[in-house]
Amino acid sequence: MRLSRRALTGYAFVSPALIFLLCFSIGPILFAFYVSFHEWDMLAPVGAMPFRGLENYRYLLTEDPLFFQVLRNTVVYTVAAVAISAVLGLALALLLNRRVRPLAFWRAIYFLPIVTSSIAVSLIWSYLYNTNYGLFDGLLALAGLPQHRFLDSPSEALPSVIGVGIWQSVGYYMVLFLAGLQGIPQEYYDAASVDGATTWRAFLHVTLPLLRPTILFVLVVNTIGALQVFDIIYVMTGGGPVNATYTGVVYIYDTAFKFLRMGRATAMSFLLFAIILVITLAQLRLLRGGFEA
Amino acid sequence: MRRRLAVGEVAITAALYLITAVGAVIMLLPFYWMVASSLMTLPEIIARPPVWFPRVPQLHNYADLAAALPIDRIYINSLIVTISVTSLVLFTSSLTGFGFAKYHFPGRDTLFLLVLATMMIPFFLLLIPVFFIVKELGWVDTYLGLIVPNAVTAYGIFLMRQFILGVPDELLDAARIDGSSEFGLYWRIVLPLSGPALAALTILAFLYHWNAFLWPLVVIRSQDLWTIPIGLNNLRLYASSTDTLDLQMAGATIAVVPVLVVFVALQRYFIQGITLSGLKG
Repeated sequence: MRLSRRALTGYAFVSPALIFLLCFSIGPILFAFYVSFHEWDMLAPVGAMPFRGLENYRYLLTEDPLFFQVLRNTVVYTVAAVAISAVLGLALALLLNRRVRPLAFWRAIYFLPIVTSSIAVSLIWSYLYNTNYGLFDGLLALAGLPQHRFLDSPSEALPSVIGVGIWQSVGYYMVLFLAGLQGIPQEYYDAASVDGATTWRAFLHVTLPLLRPTILFVLVVNTIGALQVFDIIYVMTGGGPVNATYTGVVYIYDTAFKFLRMGRATAMSFLLFAIILVITLAQLRLLRGGFEA
Repeated sequence: MRRRLAVGEVAITAALYLITAVGAVIMLLPFYWMVASSLMTLPEIIARPPVWFPRVPQLHNYADLAAALPIDRIYINSLIVTISVTSLVLFTSSLTGFGFAKYHFPGRDTLFLLVLATMMIPFFLLLIPVFFIVKELGWVDTYLGLIVPNAVTAYGIFLMRQFILGVPDELLDAARIDGSSEFGLYWRIVLPLSGPALAALTILAFLYHWNAFLWPLVVIRSQDLWTIPIGLNNLRLYASSTDTLDLQMAGATIAVVPVLVVFVALQRYFIQGITLSGLKG
C-alpha cells in the first residue's frame, strides 16, 4: 500500500507524542505489572529479579496487617470528602447562580484554595489544628469547651484531614455545578412556576434531573481524585497517628521509596487501580439509571 | 399580604447572603492566619488565647526565611520546571492534536483511542516504573528528570484535537494552494486560531506543575533543585516544627500570594480552563 504525502505528514505529526507515551506511559505500566509478580529493590538488575508469582498480591490481601486499614481509610476519606463537598458545592452553586451577587467576587473567594499549593495548605492547617498552640484549640479553650487533639488523635485525625480536603476542593465542585446550572434554560423554571411549582419542587423536578450529567461528572472525577489523596496526608500526618490516616498512595510511596519493596508497591498500585475502576464503573451504572423521575 | 411576602423575601435573601459570607470567612481565615502569623513573633504565634494581629509586624521573619532557605533559587527552579513543562505540553498537544484532527492515515482512530486509554492511567501507577526509567537515564536529581516525563499529556492531545476539529478545512487548503508547508499550516493557521484552547491548557499545566509535589519529591535529592512545594516541605522538617512556625508561615505566604494575585487577575480564564478539564485531583 502506498501512502500519500498527506498521510505521511499525519504520521510525522502524531508519532513523537505516541512514541513518548509508549516510553513513559504504556511501556512503564506493562513493566510495573511485570514487577508486581517479582521481588525487587530497584537496585538489582532487571533481569535478575526473583519471580514470586502471586506472592505480593497474596501478602497484601491475606497477611498484611495494614492493607485493609489503608483501604478503609482511603474509602472513608473519599466517601466523606466527596459526599460533603458535593452537597456543599451544589448548595453554594445554587446560592451564587441566582440570588447572591456579585458572582465573580464570591466565586473567587471559594476558589482560592484550588490554586494554592497543597503543601502550603498543609502547613497552615497543621498549625491551625495544633494541639497546644493552634487557633482551633485556642478558640475551644476560650469557649470553655474540652480540648481536642485533632491530628494527634487516632480517632480525630482522619476527620480532621477530611475537613482540609473539603476546604480545599469545595470551590472546585461549586464551579463545576455552576457551569451545569448555567446550562439550564430559564424557560424551564418559568414553566414550572406557571404550573405553580414551589422553589423546592422546581429544584427536585427541574434542576436535579437536568443537572444529572454534571452530577455524574463531578462525582466520578472527584472520586478518582480523592482515592489518590497524597499531599495533605503525607505532610500533615505522614499516615499517622497509628496509621489512622494511612491512605493508598501514601502507602505505595512508603513501600516503594522508604522500604524499597517495588514488587509489593506495584502490586498495591494495581489493587488500588482495580478499586478505582470498580468504583467508577459502579458510579457510572448507578447514576446513569439513577433518579429517573 | 403582599407586604409580608416582600419582607419575607428580603429576610430570605439576607439569610442567603449571610450563609455565603460565613462560608467565605471560613475559606479566607486560613489565608489570613498564614499572613498574620508570618508577621508575628514566636511567642505571639503560640500565645494563648490566640493573638489576631501582630503587635509589631515582624518583617524580619522574611529575612530569616531567606537566610534559612535559598528562596530565589527555589523560585527560579519552580519557574524553570513549570515553564519548560508547560511549553512542551502546549507544543506536543497542539501538534499531535492537529495530526489527529486534520489528517487521514491508516490506524488513526485506533491510535487516538490508545491516547485516550492512557488518559485513564492514574499517576501513582507510573510512579515506580517511570522513576526507574529516569534513574536508568541518569536523570535523577536533574532538571531533565523533572521536566521530560511530563512533556506529553494525553489529556492535552485530546483537548487540542477536539478544538482543532473546528478549524475549517478550506482555510488549510487555501494556504496549501498559496504554497504553505504542512508545518506552516500548523504554525501560521492552527496555532493562532487555537488561542482559547491553548490558554486553558496553559493554565491547567502551569497550575498543576507549579504545585506538583509527589514527582519532585521522588526525583529531587539536592537543595539546588528544590521547587517551591519541596522547599516548603523541607521547612517543616528542619527543626522541631514549633521553632520554625514563623518561617513556615512566611514561606507559605511567599509561595501562595503571587499565585493568588495571578488568579484574581485572570479569574475568568482559570475558571474556564478548570471547568473544561475536571483534571484537578
